Amino acid sequence: MQSKASYLIGKTVELILTLLVVSLLVFAAFSVIPGDTARVMLGPDATESQVELLRAELGLDKPLAARYLSWLLGLLTFNPGKSYAYNVSVSGLIAQRLPVTIGMSIIAMIMVILISYPLAVLSSRKPGRLGDQICSVIGHVLFAIPPYVASLLLILLTSSVFSLLTVGNYVSPSEDFFEYIGCLLLPSFAVALPKIAMSFKFLRSSIIEQKSADYVRTAKSHGMSDLKILIRHVLPNSNVSSITIISIILSDILGGSLIVEQVFNLPGLGRLLLSAISRRDFPLLSGIVFYLALVTVLLYFISDIAASFADPRIRLK
Amino acid sequence: MTRHIHIVKVHHLTLSFPTRKDPDPRPVLDDVDFGIRDGEILGLIGNSGSGKTMTSLAIAGLLPEAANITSGSIKFAGKDLLEMSPKERRAMLGKDIGMIFQEPSTALDPLMTCGKQLDEVIRAHQDASVTPEDRRKMVTDMLRIVGFTNPDEIYGRYPHQLSGGQRQRVLIAGAALLKPRLLICDEPTSSLDTVTTVSILALLRDLCHRFHMTILFISHDLSAVRGFCDRVMVMKDGKIVDMDTTADILNHPRNSYTAELLTNARLDTRNLGLEPATVDYSKSPVLTAKNITAGYAKPLFGRSKNKTETNNVLHDVSLEVFPNEILGLIGGSGSGKTTLIRSLLDLLPHSGTVNLRSSSVGAIFQDPVSCLNPAHTIKWHMLEALNASGKKRGKVSRSERKALSLKRIITVLEECGLGEEYLTRRPKELSGGQRQRVAIAMCLIQEPALIIADEPFSSLDASSSAELLKLMTDINRERNTAFLLITHNIHIVRQIAPRVIVMSDGRICEEGTTSDVLNNPRSEACSALLEAERRVHGTIS
Repeated sequence: MQSKASYLIGKTVELILTLLVVSLLVFAAFSVIPGDTARVMLGPDATESQVELLRAELGLDKPLAARYLSWLLGLLTFNPGKSYAYNVSVSGLIAQRLPVTIGMSIIAMIMVILISYPLAVLSSRKPGRLGDQICSVIGHVLFAIPPYVASLLLILLTSSVFSLLTVGNYVSPSEDFFEYIGCLLLPSFAVALPKIAMSFKFLRSSIIEQKSADYVRTAKSHGMSDLKILIRHVLPNSNVSSITIISIILSDILGGSLIVEQVFNLPGLGRLLLSAISRRDFPLLSGIVFYLALVTVLLYFISDIAASFADPRIRLK
Repeated sequence: MTRHIHIVKVHHLTLSFPTRKDPDPRPVLDDVDFGIRDGEILGLIGNSGSGKTMTSLAIAGLLPEAANITSGSIKFAGKDLLEMSPKERRAMLGKDIGMIFQEPSTALDPLMTCGKQLDEVIRAHQDASVTPEDRRKMVTDMLRIVGFTNPDEIYGRYPHQLSGGQRQRVLIAGAALLKPRLLICDEPTSSLDTVTTVSILALLRDLCHRFHMTILFISHDLSAVRGFCDRVMVMKDGKIVDMDTTADILNHPRNSYTAELLTNARLDTRNLGLEPATVDYSKSPVLTAKNITAGYAKPLFGRSKNKTETNNVLHDVSLEVFPNEILGLIGGSGSGKTTLIRSLLDLLPHSGTVNLRSSSVGAIFQDPVSCLNPAHTIKWHMLEALNASGKKRGKVSRSERKALSLKRIITVLEECGLGEEYLTRRPKELSGGQRQRVAIAMCLIQEPALIIADEPFSSLDASSSAELLKLMTDINRERNTAFLLITHNIHIVRQIAPRVIVMSDGRICEEGTTSDVLNNPRSEACSALLEAERRVHGTIS
């Protein structure tokens, strides 16, 4: 017996369990990484007693379980401790870098939707015709290009060949919002390209599938125009199945932007993550990884709920 | 307007689907020439693939894009439809020509309330001056006409909240909303049970009189047009082979093909050679089910209404199937037939015990299209079924085993009337009847003692049904396989099942020898089924 409340509760329990497993994995991964944090921080010249002292100060000498619990508690209270390398609070560091990564992801997502939707609609008008085939081939090519290669190509094209944009520039949104958007356009596009191909392919086939549905035939027999049928029947139905794909794409974009930031020299989470890795900065590293995982899991959670609400068959069961 | 003026005149229409490979294929409609008289109900009968649906789509202007009309003309109330622009033709749809289709379960948009979907019909044709209140009144009025006592409630319902019969009523309301002069009904009742069929046909007849509508009624079942159509037209391979008043066609078929259709529809035991095996009821049964109770998850908002009521679909059902027996299981929709077999096959959690004497049970289902994997050949399907049966074959080499299983597959397929050439075909290259044969062959190769068949005939035309029925009785006789046959076609049960079970509201309400139960029904449910059967099919035999 399942009601809406128990569905929500079940999903929430699932969410919490997933996050616990993620936290365990993250902690375990960083506990088995070779190399002593204290040794790395102090450099090769430090004496053994100095290293011991620092280890005690950082709490690295406590048993594993205790360390995990205090770390988890810190994460949940949004106070994952101080970064070893920067000596400032981890949440502050993340908050400072967040606008870049979030901004890029949002712009990329908007690009994906704005480009793939019209293309899919056009392409599905006459499946198998030349225009559709060209779109499909381009889609396959774009799909195969990893974002960092795409970003290099884009940099080459825009800055060297056409000299349109200055690459490697970053303005924070508090200084000049439009400049900030401008700086993020190109990297966002690099992230969005393969996702545009992905969502185009999915939307196209889902629209084609819905177009052959019986209710479309009914609507036709009612004398409705093709455009009205598309807008009122085909697209809403294909959207129900697209919600899940969109959430997968969104979390992919988040991951993709971490890499592209590096290429475009943007001060985002990706670069922070890399420097945290190279400096064995465990609190920072685990904080970033955990919060990224949190965002991803939350996205899936929201898309699950949204999908169930978009479909009256589930909503009104 | 007098009755004998043709509202639709189809003049020597020829239609084909040319492709690049085959620019001049065999026509799908070959010189079709007929008229529909104003105010009449014209039946269009024929097996699947005979061109009935294409004829109706040509009149409605909804032909697939690949279709090419090579010659002929279609006139609607004097206007040549083929000369019109697509826009003009669209303007006629819903307004002058209404259509209802076969499958009411998928013919409505699941995301939109029924009222909104009906509202769209008016909006597509009326100018902006009609106020939303007027439109709503039009829709609710029409919903009342098609038989809903609570039109305002239905207006706000989503399609999944309605039953199949109710959905078909909503669709009829949509088609009749603007009072079109012609209503095309493409097998509107073939997926409905007999009781619902009777009420839908009565509704169509009522609408026909009330709005002075003309109806083109398409069906593959000759007996379904009895008492409903004024005239009947028989199609075969894209040609019209026979046309006459209904009484003449049904009572004195002049054309040999019409006669054949009639035989198939009647399932004449003598002509078809249907001889089920004799059953020895003293043997221990192959299937014993005791006290089966099962149900589905409770609806979300329904629980506030019936808090005390349990949500079980099946209540304490017990049954036995004996070796060699064909046991009929009948009942209206929602009586729990499908839930019962899902419980028997252990596809649904249930309480109670199911005992099978032999480990292997085969099952064939209603829709042969979705039961086969479209990506694979028939050979693959058969091999999978064979491997799933897990029969040990001793120590033989791989190639030998392969040859052996291939031989077995070919034997079984041939037994089911499919030659060796079908091995490499894929499901979409087969007709509905052939697919159902493959489904049976997949059961047979596992040598089951019992095959459970859930409405195997409902998606087949009369000829395929008759052939399938013959195959089933042959298997029953020669292999001593028992069948549990679930169907809403009482006529079939009467012909081949020695024993029958009648279900109603999740309980077995009657059980006994077929002649006993069907001639002297004791329960209300069984009488209702028989009455509906009599009204649809007449007293055949």
